[in-house]
Amino acid sequence: MNHTPDSAAAAGNGGKFDPRQAAALLDQATQQTRRKLAPAQPWLLTIRAVMVLAVLGACWLNVRGQHPYRGPTSAVLPFVVVFVIANFVATVTVRKRATAGVSGKSRLRPWEIIVLTLAWIAVFAVIGALAGTGVSPAIVYSLIPLTVPLILAGLAWAGINAARADWRPCGVGVGVAVVGAVGLFAGPAGAWAVVGVGLFIVLLGSAVAIVWQQRRSVVWP
Amino acid sequence: MTDELDPLIHVPTRLKIVATLAALPDGDSLSFTRLQDMLGLTPGNLIIQLRKLEEADYLSTEKTRSGSAQKTTVALTSHGRKALSAYTQALRDLLGGL
Repeated sequence: MNHTPDSAAAAGNGGKFDPRQAAALLDQATQQTRRKLAPAQPWLLTIRAVMVLAVLGACWLNVRGQHPYRGPTSAVLPFVVVFVIANFVATVTVRKRATAGVSGKSRLRPWEIIVLTLAWIAVFAVIGALAGTGVSPAIVYSLIPLTVPLILAGLAWAGINAARADWRPCGVGVGVAVVGAVGLFAGPAGAWAVVGVGLFIVLLGSAVAIVWQQRRSVVWP
Repeated sequence: MTDELDPLIHVPTRLKIVATLAALPDGDSLSFTRLQDMLGLTPGNLIIQLRKLEEADYLSTEKTRSGSAQKTTVALTSHGRKALSAYTQALRDLLGGL
């Protein structure tokens, strides 16, 4: 490479450029880019964590005294539906805004979309298979739809990100799958509490990890 | 004191460009308009700085056309990443000695 000292350009950018200023600018530009381009924003993850805890906690309070178990009543279901829709819209909007103008390998590839789609199809296959074998409706239509999607989608997400060597989202996927697996053994009523608290911890942990990654210095790692 | 620092990167505007592109995952590129928006530079100034970095093979630009609109994307090359890494190490050495 043939470099020529670009004193004119340096002067045009503020004259003598001190190494300390350069280090500060390098860190500042890197951290700003990490914040602006992050598809998962810590503030959104934190709000989502609190909302998950509130909504699933309300479901647990709603079902914990039921004998036999009938599932959440119509008193809490609108909150669940509103949360799911609001969460989906917020996630898509923030992600779209953050990744505007970004193209390349970090976008989901066709095979990754297929893996995630197959994970969701597998959930319905499991429900269908269990319904056909005469398992209790409390398990087939409440416990399984609450926990198995977390296990399958979590594992699929972890696998995709492990293949990319992207360890934070991989850890989130594993965490979500573990929450689903633990919830599966907590019974139809207890699963709401386990999943609520578990996802709260995973989401909050992810938000903390993102903030740490974004603030990490490139000059003094 | 700054002789060890790559003169092509050791200019505020170009350092910001390289740092911004280096913060993207390897293999990703950024559109010209988003880069301009993030850095707050005029198109003319950004083009001049990009050209200098491209001439040194620190970054690559790609033009694609969809309909009547043309889109330019910019990415740091592996050579550019290595240069920034060497620049960062040189900064560390310099500042460690202060």
